[in-house]
Amino acid sequence: MINILMGLFLATLISELFTTRLYRLFAWYAINSLMLGLIAIYNGNKIDDSAMIIAGILTLIFKFIIIPYILKYFVGHFGINRKVTPSVPIHYAIILVPLMLVFTFYLITPIIKNFTFTSNYVAIAISALFLSLVMIIEHKDMLSKIIGFLSIENSLFLLGITATNGMPMLVELGIFFDLMMFIVVINLLFKYQGEQ
Amino acid sequence: MVFILLPPVIIFILSFFKINKFFMATVASMVLIPVIYIMFNPFVNSYFYVDKLNSYILLISSIVGIVVGLSGISMPQRLKLSENAIKRFYRFFGIFWLGVNISILSNNMGLYWIGLEFATLSTVYMIKVKNSPFANREAWKYLIVGAIAISLILFGIILMYASAKPVLGEKAMDFYSLVTNAKQINGYLFEIGFLIAVTGMFIKMGFFPMNLWLSDIERSAIYPVGALFSGVLESAIILGFFRLSQIEMAINYTHLIAFVYIYAIFTLFMVSFLIYRSKDFIRLFSLSGIEHMTLIALFWVSGGYFAALLHFGAHALFKPALFLSVGILEQKRKYMFKGALSGFKKPIIPIIISLLLLGVISLPPSPMFFSEIYGFKAMIDISKHMNYFLTMIFAVFIILLLISLIFYKFVTVYQEGLYEEKDAKKIVYKSEIIILAIFIISLIALLLPQTFSYIEGIMS
Repeated sequence: MINILMGLFLATLISELFTTRLYRLFAWYAINSLMLGLIAIYNGNKIDDSAMIIAGILTLIFKFIIIPYILKYFVGHFGINRKVTPSVPIHYAIILVPLMLVFTFYLITPIIKNFTFTSNYVAIAISALFLSLVMIIEHKDMLSKIIGFLSIENSLFLLGITATNGMPMLVELGIFFDLMMFIVVINLLFKYQGEQ
Repeated sequence: MVFILLPPVIIFILSFFKINKFFMATVASMVLIPVIYIMFNPFVNSYFYVDKLNSYILLISSIVGIVVGLSGISMPQRLKLSENAIKRFYRFFGIFWLGVNISILSNNMGLYWIGLEFATLSTVYMIKVKNSPFANREAWKYLIVGAIAISLILFGIILMYASAKPVLGEKAMDFYSLVTNAKQINGYLFEIGFLIAVTGMFIKMGFFPMNLWLSDIERSAIYPVGALFSGVLESAIILGFFRLSQIEMAINYTHLIAFVYIYAIFTLFMVSFLIYRSKDFIRLFSLSGIEHMTLIALFWVSGGYFAALLHFGAHALFKPALFLSVGILEQKRKYMFKGALSGFKKPIIPIIISLLLLGVISLPPSPMFFSEIYGFKAMIDISKHMNYFLTMIFAVFIILLLISLIFYKFVTVYQEGLYEEKDAKKIVYKSEIIILAIFIISLIALLLPQTFSYIEGIMS
């Protein structure tokens, strides 16, 4: 089950890279967060960690529902152009993505024995980080960059729940709080100037 | 310890009411009492950790914080800011300072990160205190670059936590436990985490290849933001680097040396030529700040702890002083060095600023002169024990060559500044004179033999 969710997590992230419409990008991000939330709940249930289950539910509420909705509201309210064109052409990106995945699995090979069941997940989390960074690099408009940053947050969270079997609660709550503050700052930036 | 966090919180709350600038400055200076108390009463618990290293860094950053609080007195006249803009500045300055103080005092790596994130997000809005299209664009840029840097730091922290959790359990998050049990943790995973986290820290300090964003942002923002960056935010980041590199030293010292030296040489190469080409004071000081942070990192990993800490202290005092004096230098026109140091009624102000300008390029008796001598000695010492002696000596030679280019530029700027400017009656406010006096006194205190022996005792 967790392998399927993990695969879908990576697949949705890759789809984000190839998207050229803003609403579709938000939708992929929402599905990506849904997978992440389900992974957290499933993993938390498996190792009997209530903190992880709570974090998973919070992920579903914030990242699956609230954040995409707020971003969509921004687009409507501030009249932002909905066409986003990646500066790396899609046929090059198709070559780049598998190369990155292979590289991260190669990177993780020496420690594959240390983590009996999570080593692949560590590799997927690192590759998700790299893919999100590619997304920030290849887009010029601000909201796509923000989705790239939010995807980095997702990959961080995935790493936290798979490699370490749960971060301390204080850190997880801190991350959520910072995410909300991040959205508030974006709102303030849009409100007083409009997108450049 | 709570009293250290109190002044920023009070500043934040007071920013919602009518601003009394003198009261704000008094509140900011209150932080000095708990900081001095904590220097003599170190403690460790699972969230906070006070030792000689971070109490020294906290003292330096608090002095800068107090002075920025003082700079608020003359800021409205100097920068022609509205009441609302001043309120916004104090509000986000409060959050920023709170975040940085939490980071400096934290034992828990997660808490360290939360503090840094607070500081990062509040800075975004501090850049936009004086609202202009340039400031708005740079605020967006900072939001993205800062957020990536901070995410890389967290990613690295999680990997390091994962590497140590099988051995240390929940304590794998604590700097103190990691430093004391460095030999037992999974080296490979820790190193991947360390590389990612340190790359994030280097991005935040403006190292190569992200060496342009910092100077653009400081140019677009008001002067105190540059002072806060170089004196307060970079203190928290470099402390994280110090702590993590201590653990990495125990795991694989050669990797650490190779990584930091290669990164630093690339950075110095880019930055020295950018400094040579810079056309205004803010960009000059900002890029010079990157150069000094590079040197601090190099001295630290080479084992020159005394040199690194002295250089850090000197830089954290010199650079905010210079950033805050840019307001005085640029009051007639920006983007020009010629005549910046002339046209004052009282000759003492240009003399002090000239001393700061020449002190920052390590002319004796600047504290940076001593720190660089000890630092380069440490670098040559470590080269002797390495297998790649010639490569290391060549690296040191290249670094010295690049620094000499920066030295040349600063001397040229100083000489251009002395050109006589006719009918330029430049105004200097009383609070600005007090600010410069505080920095000069602090720098002289840094040169005292007692301070030298205190700094030497920090890492022994």
